[in-house]
Amino acid sequence: MVDAESFIDDAVEEIREAVGEEHAVIALSGGVDSSVAAALAYEAIGDQLTPVYVDTGLMREGETEQIRDTFSYMDSLRVVAAEDRFLGALEGVTDPEEKRKVIGEQFIREFEREAKESDAEYLVQGTIYPDRIESEGNIKSHHNVGGLPDVVDFEGIVEPVRDLYKDEVREVARELGLEEIISERMPFPGPGLAVRVIGEVTKEKVEVARAACHVVEEEVEEHDPWQAFAAVIGKGTGVKGDNRVHGWIVSVRSVESRDGMTARAQELPWETLQRIQSRITGENENVARVVYDVTHKPPATIEYE
Amino acid sequence: MTRIVVIDNHGQFTHLEHRALRDLGVDVELLDNDTPAEEIDADGVVLSGGPDMDRIGNCADYLELDVPVLGICLGMQILAAELDGAVGSGDYGGYADVNVEILDDEDPLVGSLAPETRVWASHADEVKELPEGFVHTGTSDVCGIESMSDTDRDLYGVQWHPEVAHTEEGQAVFENFLGICEQ
Repeated sequence: MVDAESFIDDAVEEIREAVGEEHAVIALSGGVDSSVAAALAYEAIGDQLTPVYVDTGLMREGETEQIRDTFSYMDSLRVVAAEDRFLGALEGVTDPEEKRKVIGEQFIREFEREAKESDAEYLVQGTIYPDRIESEGNIKSHHNVGGLPDVVDFEGIVEPVRDLYKDEVREVARELGLEEIISERMPFPGPGLAVRVIGEVTKEKVEVARAACHVVEEEVEEHDPWQAFAAVIGKGTGVKGDNRVHGWIVSVRSVESRDGMTARAQELPWETLQRIQSRITGENENVARVVYDVTHKPPATIEYE
Repeated sequence: MTRIVVIDNHGQFTHLEHRALRDLGVDVELLDNDTPAEEIDADGVVLSGGPDMDRIGNCADYLELDVPVLGICLGMQILAAELDGAVGSGDYGGYADVNVEILDDEDPLVGSLAPETRVWASHADEVKELPEGFVHTGTSDVCGIESMSDTDRDLYGVQWHPEVAHTEEGQAVFENFLGICEQ
């Protein structure tokens, strides 16, 4: 396990030495990895760092406001509203890998513009140790590794948490005083809610996924899962107030894990599951059915795409 | 300090094997499986899991290094395939929770887990026949040969994944292997 205190001193020193008097940018996703990398870099070089947060429209409920709030101490923070551009780029795209690619490319376009405007010579990234290996393993394409440096000609790339595992990054986040919402935050995939919608990403499906994820996160909190969420997986029939509806089927997933590499589907109480289904079908008129996913990883993955 | 190398057979858990050993305070290095055997200087070798028996690089050569070898999942199947055992597809895929019955409580690798241990697995193929000189040390309902050992040549295999968090006594397997390497 990493010694957080001395790690922070070393990382800050390393960033300061690497960047010197130049400018640097970091893409802030709201996840714990990039948040820690940004906090370390900001401590090292202050407003020579431009943290860029792109609101893709695929974020969780209230996430953008929360980021704005948490990082308000960084005067140089830029929040880019890009929902329309992302949904536009995703129109008609159904293949999961293609979705990730489209989102990655759009993200690079957004970030490239901001990086050029800020005259940054250095790129700071929250790459962690497993990212470096998983990208080789061909399980899923990661969008926080690679891509950016091919488009923007940076002087150098600084990856302060490159040798840490997820739980160690959380340890550092706690030591940095990043409030609990960041340090204990559930993992969220890079492509956001787009991979919690099977098939084409539309505004309607994303809104259902967002609302349902919010319900799940609230209702399972006391059971302390490693990750819990909902995904829109298809359409089915239902009957609401004597009317037949052809509505969305939402799948609920809640898993226990240490590092996301293996996971156990959580044994949630029936009452909790019932409250979740009641809220999701009750608050969203276009949802006809809620199911609970009981599959471990392996054989399933945690996310659906 | 004891030095162990983990050979990456493109398995998704390989880095967790690296971590489990690092957490034991071992000098550990992750190497691609195309590393020439003569470049390896170690007190023990771990052959990781992986997706495909056709992508095992130079793994066969590492069995000749005369240091203890621990094969995990595909790594164990490599031991069987390269020596004179046999590998084939299982009747029932082994995924997630499996209860393994330990058949030899004297075994240096898994004996300390006797009588039974709860593990996490992920495999379709399995070892069908032990190679000459190996002892059958563990079994389960979903896979006959869950573990095997040849204590003369110090070659060991487990079909499950001791490196993942959901395997209950996974760290003990690495501690035991470390003990073997330090002898």
